[in-house]
Amino acid sequence: MVADYQIVLLLVLPLISAALITFFFRKLHKIAVGISVFSSMACAAIAFIAITTWNVEPVHREITWLTFGSLNITLGYYLNSTSAVLLFVVTFVGFLIHLFAVEYSEHDESRARFFGALSLFMFSMTGIVLSSNLIMMFFFWELVGFCSYMLIGHYQFKDSAGKAANKAFIVNRIGDFGFLIGIIWCWWQYGTVDLVALEAQADTLVTGIGLLLFCGVLGKSAQMPLHVWLPDAMEGPTPVSALIHAATMVAAGVFLMCRVFFIFSVEALDIIAWVGAITAIFAGISAITQNDIKKILAYSTLSQLGYMVAAFAIGTIAAHGDTNYGVGAALFHLTTHAFFKALLFLGAGSIIHATHHEQNIFKMGGLAARMPITFVTFSIGYLALTGFPLLSGFWSKESILAVAQEENAAIFYILLIGAGVTAFYMTRLWIKVFLGTPKTDYVAEAKETSWVMTLPLIILSVFALLAGYQFIYPAGLVPALHGSIPHPEGAMKMWLPIISIAVAVVGYILAALLYRANAEKDFLEDKLPAVFKFINARLWFDEIYAFYVNRIQQPIANAISLIDLAVIGGLGMRGSAGGVGLLGLIVRMLTTGSVHHYVYWFAVGLILCGAVVFGFAK
Amino acid sequence: MSNLLYLSILAPWVLAALLMALPKSLPERLFKILGLIGFGIPAILGAIIFCEYARANTGSFLFLSEIDTGLSTYGISLKLGVNGISAPLVLLAGIVGIAAGITAVTSVAERMRTYLVLLLVMQGGLMGIFVTYDIFYIYFFHEIALIPAFIMIAIWGGPNKRPAAMEMTIYLTLGAMLSLVGLVGIYASSGVGSFDLISLSNYLSENSIQSAMQESLFGLLMFGLGILVSLFPFHSWAPRGYSAAPTSVSMLHAGVLKKFGLYALIQVGLPLLGEGSFAWSTALMWLALGNIIIIGLVTMAQKHLKDMISYGSVMHMGYAFLGIASLNAIGVSGAVFLMVAHGLSIALLFNLSVLIQNRTRTFYMDEMGGLGKDAPILAGFLIAAMMASVGLPGFANFWGEFTIFLGLWEVSPLVLALALLGIIISAIYGLRAVKAIAFGDRTEAYDKIKDEFPVKDINWVERSPGILLLLALLILGLMPRMAGDGINLAVTQHILAGEAYEQIEASLTAQPADILLQDTTQTTETHEH
Repeated sequence: MVADYQIVLLLVLPLISAALITFFFRKLHKIAVGISVFSSMACAAIAFIAITTWNVEPVHREITWLTFGSLNITLGYYLNSTSAVLLFVVTFVGFLIHLFAVEYSEHDESRARFFGALSLFMFSMTGIVLSSNLIMMFFFWELVGFCSYMLIGHYQFKDSAGKAANKAFIVNRIGDFGFLIGIIWCWWQYGTVDLVALEAQADTLVTGIGLLLFCGVLGKSAQMPLHVWLPDAMEGPTPVSALIHAATMVAAGVFLMCRVFFIFSVEALDIIAWVGAITAIFAGISAITQNDIKKILAYSTLSQLGYMVAAFAIGTIAAHGDTNYGVGAALFHLTTHAFFKALLFLGAGSIIHATHHEQNIFKMGGLAARMPITFVTFSIGYLALTGFPLLSGFWSKESILAVAQEENAAIFYILLIGAGVTAFYMTRLWIKVFLGTPKTDYVAEAKETSWVMTLPLIILSVFALLAGYQFIYPAGLVPALHGSIPHPEGAMKMWLPIISIAVAVVGYILAALLYRANAEKDFLEDKLPAVFKFINARLWFDEIYAFYVNRIQQPIANAISLIDLAVIGGLGMRGSAGGVGLLGLIVRMLTTGSVHHYVYWFAVGLILCGAVVFGFAK
Repeated sequence: MSNLLYLSILAPWVLAALLMALPKSLPERLFKILGLIGFGIPAILGAIIFCEYARANTGSFLFLSEIDTGLSTYGISLKLGVNGISAPLVLLAGIVGIAAGITAVTSVAERMRTYLVLLLVMQGGLMGIFVTYDIFYIYFFHEIALIPAFIMIAIWGGPNKRPAAMEMTIYLTLGAMLSLVGLVGIYASSGVGSFDLISLSNYLSENSIQSAMQESLFGLLMFGLGILVSLFPFHSWAPRGYSAAPTSVSMLHAGVLKKFGLYALIQVGLPLLGEGSFAWSTALMWLALGNIIIIGLVTMAQKHLKDMISYGSVMHMGYAFLGIASLNAIGVSGAVFLMVAHGLSIALLFNLSVLIQNRTRTFYMDEMGGLGKDAPILAGFLIAAMMASVGLPGFANFWGEFTIFLGLWEVSPLVLALALLGIIISAIYGLRAVKAIAFGDRTEAYDKIKDEFPVKDINWVERSPGILLLLALLILGLMPRMAGDGINLAVTQHILAGEAYEQIEASLTAQPADILLQDTTQTTETHEH
């Protein structure tokens, strides 16, 4: 049985940790770290106990939070198989990343603030996972956005960090603009936003509601065209990139869709599937020309999120009876991705920490021998991500391809090619980082990091290896993951994995041939500069947005501001210097101090306004 | 309980009188302590009144009492009582009052004694507005609070204080006059011979005012009170006035006094002039969109911190007007909730702006930067305040804005979508300001200042207004029912209980929302031509 107090603890512990750190331990770094790590460990343990002792029956509890007229907003939790999967992933991966961050942040002057924000994030993310209704989910949805903002901007002194933080928050607000309309429309359409009640009442599907809710996913899960914030978000500390911008928060969009899968019409799902597929291939190709190890992983995350979104949409269209293949495949890939991508980011963090903040893969090299544990674990993550047979990523990617192959041929081919692209850019990264000789002194002197950092890597690599198999999960999670492949076991199409493996192998080999470990320049940049330039432009999204913000929005704002000052504000009201114009004259007349003028002025105004009002009303 | 209501008005006035009576030669410290007592008493009383009211679990007027002030032949007497709408506003006035009081005593204002006297007079007026239910006295207390504000701007204001004070005086007096005509009009045309809200609404629910008269009167109230709340395009006094005003006056005016207009529109206009409100709701809605979108864009163009905060406050008034214009229980309740939340957050922002200026010696944001390094706690307060004002969940503003948006859908999804653009606009200017002030490297200008005047983080005295205001924002943000239940009961049982609202409710539920969308757009077009 899942007891209420367990759920309450899961939310309250990280909140208390965040509050204690903020109010009392800002300067006592060690205590702050201890509190935060302890709360994440306790949450992981409580969540594990709760899930293993849970009888797999959905639990739904709520109390009234606010009542206005016919609107009744509740505060509650709804634990079903979908949320149990995320609860497991968030608390478990969250704890490992807290552990890793202890050493990663040892030289950080604002270490306490960092851990405080991490705790607040754990609170908000757990809130999203357990929310029993859409309004409550939106509440926590905004809070994770705030934590993300604080943590991206953690290195405050860097101008780029501040800019990236603002960009992330504002782009997410654009997504939330649609999300909020979707929630409100949903309430007026169905009279409720409670997840359980909605499932029972949403019989007539409205395409608009589905698409508007998907706007929230566009922002949070960084799908095109709102993907631009995620690569910039790599300005944050690497554990943050691992936790928030790879494993958990960015997956919240996919989770949201799985939570309300019944609300999407087929028309909406068609559009969603294409958005996911295009993001998957576009982001994969964009990763090819990146040199920053974290940015490559960020584009890879975008691409994999695209896979999940596409899988959800295609599989939900094809849902038969009680089995929703979309939810199954998307959640399965979300889970394996959380493990191997957190592993890759932490591996990158380990490298960055050991090489004095070197992030350019062209300046690395030869780290295989110098950092053996990081090398082995990172390689496992790399193989899992690229879909190497029998590793976790292989199974989850296979289930996505299987759904796509049965339902939508065009998207199937896009995703298949995407698998080859993934193998290509990851092999490039792996060669430049680990093989050959070091390019700088810091890299040459790099040593393996201590056990606090390698232990999470080892544990995550075990999951990256085995997360494709059901035995590794508590029983409560299996039902959600079960319907991930739209055909019974034993009837698996053997040719499908063979093709996808072949495509990946082409990617491996091509990259191995093109990228030499000791080459100083990027192959594409050197030999095919036009292609390199085109890919590196990433379809000019950033440039177009920058143009809009700087050349259209800001001039309009400035112009309106001027008009406001000059016309609406009354000419020359502002002061003696530019004091001309009718009102200015009147002001000067008034400031002579004659009481009569006041009276006239009020009388004239009164008559004028009275005339307007009475005339207008009739 | 009703004695507490008197006391909350009288305490600041008594202390103001005491301060005036004391000889000038006494140490300034004593004046400051007495001043703080004068603000502390209404703050505590406000909290007690709010909590006691919340325990009663009702929306109607409670703690009633009456004093004859010699005007009873005209149906006027000082009638005290609070309902579900005024109770949270009493709390607001108390908290913002003590915060402004602390800001005042820590400021470097000259002639501190006179300054405190005027501020205490203003505070007494503010408490008075929300603890009486006699319309005449609501208006009277508003004027009492307004006059010291003018004087203080003209004497203690910053650059451009004279024209700013003059412009503010003209606008606000004009607005007050118009609304006075409207209020007297209600009194005259109702024929009940009383100014008190309870008798008026009881009487008018049976014998409502003629439709044409209702429309004219509501129009007067809407424009008159609209000017007081800086409804677009009558807003230009606000940014200039607030920028020029001493900080504690900005806090009290933008935080509390400005809410008088919205308060009177909800408490008096909506229940007594039901049909009138329908005639004007579409016009009000489009003007309010002007506040949100046009003033929102203007806010984005500001480089002066106080200007930006002032314009931002004008913008947020648009949401409150939209909530009123939605004319349903969700939107109107949301507007009341937002009034409280906005009052707290805007007072906090003005308070922080001067703390920042004390360190950077400028209000121009492009000459700041990197304050997070030198004053991390101040930067933390700034981020929290800005997040509250852009409606981050967890702070009270979120519930106000969210419920207003939700209420708007019923009226027009198009207006909802336009209004929602505001959440993007406010995020843009809010975060840009935070980045310019707190993040990044120090600018050269700030570096020079820093060499000259060493920068210290805020101390406990400077922190205390922020702590009080943030605490209130967080408590209401996490436990919205504390204020929300009373507001909801008052709005559903008293404000929107008239026959006119029942009719419109019935007609709305009969129509799907998308038809309404077309309807409203058409009617607005005809309005504009």
